[in-house]
Amino acid sequence: MDAPVNRLTLPAIAGSIAAFSQFVRGGAAAAGVAESEFGKLDLILEEILVNVARYAYSAESGTVEVAYAPAGPRQLRVEIADSGRIFNPLQANPPDLSRGLAERPIGGLGVFLVRNMVDSIAYRREQDRNILSFVFPLDGGPGA
Amino acid sequence: MNIEPTELEKAVLLKVTGRMDAENAHEFEEACERWITHGSKHLIADLDGLQYVSSMGLRCFLSVAQKLQSASGSLILCGLHGLPRQVFEMTRLIGLFPVFDTTQQALATL
Repeated sequence: MDAPVNRLTLPAIAGSIAAFSQFVRGGAAAAGVAESEFGKLDLILEEILVNVARYAYSAESGTVEVAYAPAGPRQLRVEIADSGRIFNPLQANPPDLSRGLAERPIGGLGVFLVRNMVDSIAYRREQDRNILSFVFPLDGGPGA
Repeated sequence: MNIEPTELEKAVLLKVTGRMDAENAHEFEEACERWITHGSKHLIADLDGLQYVSSMGLRCFLSVAQKLQSASGSLILCGLHGLPRQVFEMTRLIGLFPVFDTTQQALATL
């Protein structure tokens, strides 16, 4: 990402999510993202960070870095990076949303939700890190 | 998140307020399971005060509904609105539950 980039690194645990949300919300507000979008931003961050907390590291604990930079009017580009084992959350099969209640699989909804709420989501593996990036909000946000 | 139960004649009403996320979603599932073990067949979740729900929350709603359905019961949702409603709609979960605006409407069907 081009400067200016803001970064925050914390342990890759569910307990860090609130601090990351606070951090990115600050960036979103500064970039002029509508406040009505902040709930969705929390959701996107939670879904991605819960996956990192669950899959990136095994026995030993690790850290996750969240970075953001402005990306055009009222938009923010966000990158979430961890140094865990190779894991691309975008590769999983999308959940089957057509099944009835009894046959509906319980998992797979997190990444699906994220994909539906952001622009330009992408994964790359760089210098032994998993990096997931996206632009928020979708289509420039409400009224765009 | 706060869960306030009220035992009615035909169902147990669970008033859920606040945010349901990966850390606390299990509390909802556990609360429902206690009532299911107690013999309740129909649970009504009053979600008017629910401000946020993530996929972990959705999993709990789904899991509870599946358990109740297999025992010929149901999990009914009321007052779903805002971002939680959008999340249920995006994932097409909304079509899997009886959904009403008010608990009165829900109770009228039981």
